[in-house]
Amino acid sequence: MIKVRHIKKVYGQGLNTTQAVKDVSITVKPGEFVAIMGRSGSGKSTLLHILGLLDMPTGGEVYIEDTDILKLSEGERARFRLEELGYVFQEYSLLGELTILENVYLPALCLARQNNGKKRAIEMLQTVGLGERLKHYPSEVSGGEQQRAAIARALINNPKILFADEPTASLDAASSKVILELFRRLNKDLKQTIVMVTHEPEDGKYVDRVVWLKDGLVLETNS
Amino acid sequence: MGNLKVALFLAYKSIIKGNRWALVLVVLVMSLSFANLILTPSILSGVTNTLNEQQVNTLLANIIIDPEEGEHYLNRVDQVVRKIEQTPGVVGVSAHLNSSAFMEYQWQEKDSPADKGKSGNWAVIGIDPLPEAKVTAIQENIIDGSYLEAGDRDKIVLGIEIAGGNEAQSSSFLTLGDVQVGDNVWLTYSNGVQREYEVKGIFWAKETQADRLAFVTRTELASVMGRSVFADRASQILVKTEQMGHEEQLIAELETLGINGEIRSWREYGGAMSGIVSSFDVIVSLINGIGLVVAAIVMFIVIYISVLHKRRQIGILRAIGIKTKIVITSYLAQALFYAVLGITFGELIIHFAIEPYFANYPLDLPLGMVSLGIEPAAALKAVWGLISAAIFAGFIPVLSIIHQSIIKSIWGN
Repeated sequence: MIKVRHIKKVYGQGLNTTQAVKDVSITVKPGEFVAIMGRSGSGKSTLLHILGLLDMPTGGEVYIEDTDILKLSEGERARFRLEELGYVFQEYSLLGELTILENVYLPALCLARQNNGKKRAIEMLQTVGLGERLKHYPSEVSGGEQQRAAIARALINNPKILFADEPTASLDAASSKVILELFRRLNKDLKQTIVMVTHEPEDGKYVDRVVWLKDGLVLETNS
Repeated sequence: MGNLKVALFLAYKSIIKGNRWALVLVVLVMSLSFANLILTPSILSGVTNTLNEQQVNTLLANIIIDPEEGEHYLNRVDQVVRKIEQTPGVVGVSAHLNSSAFMEYQWQEKDSPADKGKSGNWAVIGIDPLPEAKVTAIQENIIDGSYLEAGDRDKIVLGIEIAGGNEAQSSSFLTLGDVQVGDNVWLTYSNGVQREYEVKGIFWAKETQADRLAFVTRTELASVMGRSVFADRASQILVKTEQMGHEEQLIAELETLGINGEIRSWREYGGAMSGIVSSFDVIVSLINGIGLVVAAIVMFIVIYISVLHKRRQIGILRAIGIKTKIVITSYLAQALFYAVLGITFGELIIHFAIEPYFANYPLDLPLGMVSLGIEPAAALKAVWGLISAAIFAGFIPVLSIIHQSIIKSIWGN
């Protein structure tokens, strides 16, 4: 599903450079739930940004389902993100001017093949337990509910891979557990491939495999 | 749903959920900018219209017939006038005899011929008072005394710029120095003939060229010029038409009548006017240009602040796969909405406030009463100008954010 070969990412120019990712090679299989863990500055978020096509590596190769994503144009990458990937951000990623329902079905509106986006969005929100919050605005619901809505949005176009960047970082323990169990359920029931960045070792119990990063390198991989 | 619908949906939500006061402020500025874009050229257009109307009504009429090149007079004038009068669309026809004279006031008090005070050279027009009243508005502009009558021989009507006095724009020494009705003036015509006239009336046409004319009867001037008072000749024939602006069509008809003369519209005589109009066009372009820049800057600031405020949201939109052109179109749609709303309210302000005000209280300028001359072309130009400014102002700020990386848009580093 995902093949990453010797990717690196350098920020800055000349003497003021930071090597966020030095040399990372990993593979994620279809239906796998993988956590990328490491301390702050280990390069885990940068790696996720590259896998999620939000950022470009300085070197290396990235294949998602045999597509060399580094050869895609800006427009093709946007299309790929819309059709093939789902992304859950750390916090407050919903659009404040749209209701919870509108936030969720917005990506479906952009997809020609999704002609029942609104119906599917309602189903997705019911799946994540927000069936009663459809017409609420993000500012009117809790952080945990916002994250669940963000997960529903990420799943609306049936993505091949769901990326989550520390999705529980700004949530309390109870809300975090709900989110992680939701991910686990999606992975088990729908065979959803998930790649999640987290710094909480406890989150490891929800995933199939953990990839540990340190200083931009893969430290170890364990199941 | 197509990309456009998504963009419009995002724009709609942004406007609906956006700051109401910011919306009111932007629309107000746009309305006033639009009203300004219409108002300035309309006032100048009103001034031009007034100047043109003054020229037509007091000096030139709509169509002027001059002798052919090399000739001094038009012949068989009565016959020509009758033919023209029968042409549909003609309101009046008046034959003029034109001359000039050195005029003197209180000449009896002068010590020597070298004393040039209260004197000057001016054009003297010989008219038939009744037909003339149908062609020029001199009769209506008499401010003191009365108009000429057909049998008058020793009477003269003077323009205010000849008579002088408080209403005259010319300096006192360039006039006769406040001649009053009933006073006598002494005229030495260009052919040396000298006549004394009683001032019968003084007119103020508010058209400087017309106000520098003196009128006597055509019979009187014919006798001065050594012609038979019955001679069927004229220096010019002025033709007044029902409507301004249709002169060319009427000229074409008059040319079929076999008139031995040069037939021209007032516009061909309005050389000085066309210079003023061209100058106005330049001024209007400058003022409108500044107005458009101001409107564009206001719109730019509003959109830029909005875009900065929503930079993270724009990043998220791009991150979830929304195409950049949808985001750009969404902001352009918002800018266009502001512009259209501004244009609509601006039009309402013009139509229901400014236009009625000027209709009831026209500007009383020295050249005449000036009301708004709103031209559809100018209004259309203002509409397109403001829409173009909106597109520019909406496009640039969002483009600057779109060019940032998604990561920078979302996290700012």
